Amino acid sequence: MMVFDAVLAAACLVAAAMALFARDRIAAVAAFLVMGLLIALAWLRLGAPDVALAEAAIGAGLTGALLLRSAHRIPAAPTKPLPSAQWLGAGVLSVAVGGAIVWTSMSIGAAPAYPPLVAVAVPESGVENPVTAVLLNFRAWDTLLEIAVLFAALAVVAVVKPVRPRIAPLGPLMLPFARVVLPLTILLAGHLLWQGGHAPGGAFQAGAVLAGGAIALGLSGAVRPIRWGRAGLAWLSILGLAAFAVAALAAELLTGALLGYPAGAAKAWIIAIESALTLSIAATLLLLFFGPAERH
Amino acid sequence: MISDFAFLLSGAGLIGLALFRLATSADLLMRVLGLNVLAIGIAMVLLVAARGAAGTDAVPQAFILTGIVVLVGVTAALLALAERVAEARDE
Repeated sequence: MMVFDAVLAAACLVAAAMALFARDRIAAVAAFLVMGLLIALAWLRLGAPDVALAEAAIGAGLTGALLLRSAHRIPAAPTKPLPSAQWLGAGVLSVAVGGAIVWTSMSIGAAPAYPPLVAVAVPESGVENPVTAVLLNFRAWDTLLEIAVLFAALAVVAVVKPVRPRIAPLGPLMLPFARVVLPLTILLAGHLLWQGGHAPGGAFQAGAVLAGGAIALGLSGAVRPIRWGRAGLAWLSILGLAAFAVAALAAELLTGALLGYPAGAAKAWIIAIESALTLSIAATLLLLFFGPAERH
Repeated sequence: MISDFAFLLSGAGLIGLALFRLATSADLLMRVLGLNVLAIGIAMVLLVAARGAAGTDAVPQAFILTGIVVLVGVTAALLALAERVAEARDE
């Protein structure tokens, strides 16, 4: 497997170079998508399947879709030839930073401090997957703020009001495709959500899969996410943050600790919060893609 | 061990490439793309650092998951702003 890992690590670099230095923007975004999938595979090899799932669904899938959407809307900047000193300086600086990172990582000898602490506390957390335990129990406060950041991004996009993507209805094969994709997406999202408690998965991956399916259907013209209630989607995107904040305050009242779930009931609290988060993240990502507000 | 070193080199290489692109490109879309590559490279270095005898540390994994979700929000906001900048240039 060592050869496979070395080839995979090199392939990630080649795909990144193609994405960053391609002349054609569509080719650059395509290479970025390929890089995202290779990176997901690399992270799977590094023993982080939760992160690999999120990278494949959000980092490659949704970010790729966003970049592709904007590729023809942002005109290429007029290329002024840069002075060769700037090329040289940038090259030296980036090689130096890369080298410093390798050298620092190699010279750290101390064993990580967290694994024993996590291993001791996981049985009390209500879930068996340590990553979910960290995200929604030990460091739930960080996740609450992360949802707030996502909501802030949505607010920025709502103020800026980007143009809506043009939707071209596809041919007669669209309906059979939608009939397969829609139930499959919902099933997969529900599975990922429930599985997050004991195996790789969770609210973020589930929400991203749900949003991906909705974006595919929305772009194909099979459903009109904008027509069926942008206000409803906006409320849904607030729901996650609101439910999380209410849960934090309720836990504070019940146990005296912010987000300290009552003993024995932690699993129910986590599943309830994750369910609200899944719907909310899906709605937020969908609105980030299609634009939350109409421009007049 | 060799595998970890390969992935460490790959992560550092991603960071270097992205920094180089960010320093030499004036194209807004490519800058957003470069920012994404930079974040992925940093996540890769973090993940390699999280490797240990007892598997991969869950705390950095949670950091990276948070980072990925924040990054998609930042990307969407930056792209919306870049589109607006492009429109303002046209007018």
